[in-house]
Amino acid sequence: MSSSHLTRFHKWLLQSPPIEWFDLRLRDLMIGALSQGPIPQHIAMVMDGNRRYARQKRIEVAEGHNRGFEALAQMLEVCYRCGVKVLTVYAFSVENFKRSRYEVDTLMSLMKSKLTQLSEHGELFERYGASVRVLGQRELVAPDVLEAIDRAVDLTKNNTDAILNICFPYASRNEITIAIRDTVNDWSQPIRERERTFSQSHIESHIRLRNISNDASKKQDQYSPAPSAISDTEDSIAESTLPVTPADYTELTTLKPSLTYPDPESIDANTLSEHMFITSNPPVDLFIRTSGVERFSDFLLWQAHEKTDIKFVDCMWPDFDLWQLIPILVEWQWKRRKAAADERVARRGMRLPKKSD
Amino acid sequence: MPLEHETEVFRHDLKSPFLTEKEREAVLQPYLPKSRSEQKRTKAIQRKKPVRRFLASTIHFLLFTLIHILYSIYARTRKYYHAVTRRISAILYYHHRTPELIRKDVKGLKRLPKHLSVILELSKQENEMSAMETLLDNVAEISAWCACVGIPMLSVYEKTGMLKNYIPTTHKTVAAKLHSYFGLKRPSLQVRAPHIPSFLNGDISEDGSIVDAQTSNLGHLSLLLLSADDGRNTLVDLTKTLAEMAQHNKLLPEDISSQLIDAEISESVMGEPELLILFAPEIKLDGYPPWQIRLTEIFHEPDNTEVEYLVWLKGLYRFARAEMRFGR
Repeated sequence: MSSSHLTRFHKWLLQSPPIEWFDLRLRDLMIGALSQGPIPQHIAMVMDGNRRYARQKRIEVAEGHNRGFEALAQMLEVCYRCGVKVLTVYAFSVENFKRSRYEVDTLMSLMKSKLTQLSEHGELFERYGASVRVLGQRELVAPDVLEAIDRAVDLTKNNTDAILNICFPYASRNEITIAIRDTVNDWSQPIRERERTFSQSHIESHIRLRNISNDASKKQDQYSPAPSAISDTEDSIAESTLPVTPADYTELTTLKPSLTYPDPESIDANTLSEHMFITSNPPVDLFIRTSGVERFSDFLLWQAHEKTDIKFVDCMWPDFDLWQLIPILVEWQWKRRKAAADERVARRGMRLPKKSD
Repeated sequence: MPLEHETEVFRHDLKSPFLTEKEREAVLQPYLPKSRSEQKRTKAIQRKKPVRRFLASTIHFLLFTLIHILYSIYARTRKYYHAVTRRISAILYYHHRTPELIRKDVKGLKRLPKHLSVILELSKQENEMSAMETLLDNVAEISAWCACVGIPMLSVYEKTGMLKNYIPTTHKTVAAKLHSYFGLKRPSLQVRAPHIPSFLNGDISEDGSIVDAQTSNLGHLSLLLLSADDGRNTLVDLTKTLAEMAQHNKLLPEDISSQLIDAEISESVMGEPELLILFAPEIKLDGYPPWQIRLTEIFHEPDNTEVEYLVWLKGLYRFARAEMRFGR
C-alpha cells in the first residue's frame, strides 16, 4: 500500500513541470558537455531485453517491444545530437523467426507501422538529416513489410548527416557467407578485354617487323658494312615482310586463349569488407549490448572483432536511455584520451634517445 | 525529448489512433531540431550574440572537464579497490597446485565448457625473451587448471602468433607444469596449431612407452594455439580457394552456404568455443576469429590485467550461471 503511494508520489513529483523542465535542461547540458570530447563515429547496439522487461513489469510482450522502439527513438536523438554518424541496431535476428508466431507477427507489424509513420513524417526526418537503411535478408520478410521498408528507405536516402542501420532480419554468419559468395561471383566473371584504339596484334607485327629488319641488317652488315647500303635494304625488307603480316593475324585469331579471370590472390580482407551489408566506414567504435547477456549472438562478427570496444550493460533495452549511455561514453572518451596521451608520451620517448645520440 | 504525459498520449494513440498526422507533428514540434532554413537563421542570430555562444561553450567545456576529473578519480579508486579485493581473494582461493582443491572449487557447477578459449597478450614492457617466458608460463598454468577440472579443449589466442613457432617448447613447458600439479602421472596432452601440417601429436610422437606410463587415464587436454592469421585471413583464404574453384567451373557460387563455410572453418581452425575469458581490463577482441565467436559467452574482469586463477574460476561460475560465495 504505502509503496504504491510512494511510487505515485514519485511519479507525480517527476512529472511536475519544474522538475521536467530541469530534466530537459540537464539533458541538453550533458549532451553539450559530452560533445566537447571525442565521440564514437559508429555505435552498434543490440536491443535485447524487451521480453524480459515486459515480464518484469507485468505487461504484454508486444507492449515491451513497443517500449523498446520508444527507447530506440530516444537513443537516436541522443546519438544524433552528440555527433554520432552511424548507429547500427539489431532489430530482428534470423533466429527470432523461431519464436512464437504471434510474437513474430507483432514485431513485423510494429516494424511496418513505425516505418509507415516515418514515411508520413518524412519531412521531420529530413530535419535530422538522417537516412534509414534496412539491412538483412530481405527474402525472409513479408511483401507488405518490404514495401513499407522500401518507401522509408527511399524517402530518406538523400540525407547524409547521419545513418541509421536497422538490421532486420539479420545474422552475421549469413552476411559473411553472402559477402564470400558475392566476391566469388565477382571473381568468376571473365575479364572482358576493353576495346582499345591500339590493337595488340598490330603492335606485335610491328615488333616482329623491326626484329626481322634488325636481323636482316645484321646479315647485310656481314656482306656490306657500308652505311650507304642500309637505306636500300630497309626498303627491300619492308616489301618482303608485307606478305608475312596476314599470316600473323590468322595465327593470333586461332590462338585466342581461354577466358581470363581476375587473380584470386588479389582478394583481401578489404574486398570482403566491401561486400558486407554493413560497411566498416566509419569503423564500429562501440558495441553495446543490453540485458546483461555477454554474447555477440551473431551480430557484426566481422565488423566488431578487431578494435571495437565492447560493452555489456546489465539493463533491459527499454530502460536504456541517456543516463545509461553517459557512463559508457565517458569511459570510452577517457580511454581514448588516455591512449592518445600514452601515444604522445611514447613518441616523445622515441624522440628523446635520438636527441641524446 | 517529449514530456511524460505526452508520451502517454502517444502510447494511447498507438492502440487506437485518434490524432491526425498534423496533430502528431504538432506534439513533436517543440522537440525537433530546426529545419534547414531555421538553422541558418539561428546561426545568423548566434553570430550576432557571440557572448551567449561563448558562455555556452565555456560551460560545456567546464562541465566536460569536471566529468572527466570525477571519472578519473572514480576509475582510479575502483582500480585500487579491485586490486586489493583481488589480492585478498587470491589468498583465500589459492589453488596450491592441487588438482583436488581446484576440482572442489568447481564441484557445485552444473556445467563446464567443453571448449574454453582465452585471449593472452605478449607483454610489451618486457624484452622479447622474458615476455615469451611469461606467456608460456601463463599458457601452462591455464592448461593445468583446465586439465584439473576436465575441460578437454583449450584454445589460446595470441595476436602475433609467437607461440606457434615454439610448439615443442610449449608442449614441454605445459607437460612440466602438469607434472608439478599432478605428480608423476599426468593427463595426456596434445599441442597443435591450425594450418601447421606437422603438428606435434604430443605424448604419442615423443618417446612412446615412457610417456604413456606417465599419462595413464587422467584425461586428455588438447591445446590449440591461435593467432590473428586464423581470423579474417582464413576467411579470405577460403574465399580465394572458392574463387579459384569457381573459375575452373568446379563450383557454382550459389553452392556456397554457411554450412559449407562452417564445415571448412571448423575443420581447418576450430569449432565454436563455449566460453571466452579475457585477462584484460576491457573487452577488445583484437582480431580473434570472427566466425567462431557467434554464440560464445565472453567473460572479463574489470580492471584486471593479469592471468589469475580467480578470474578463470569466476569465468566458469559465470558460464554455469552460479553465484560465487566466499570461502571454500
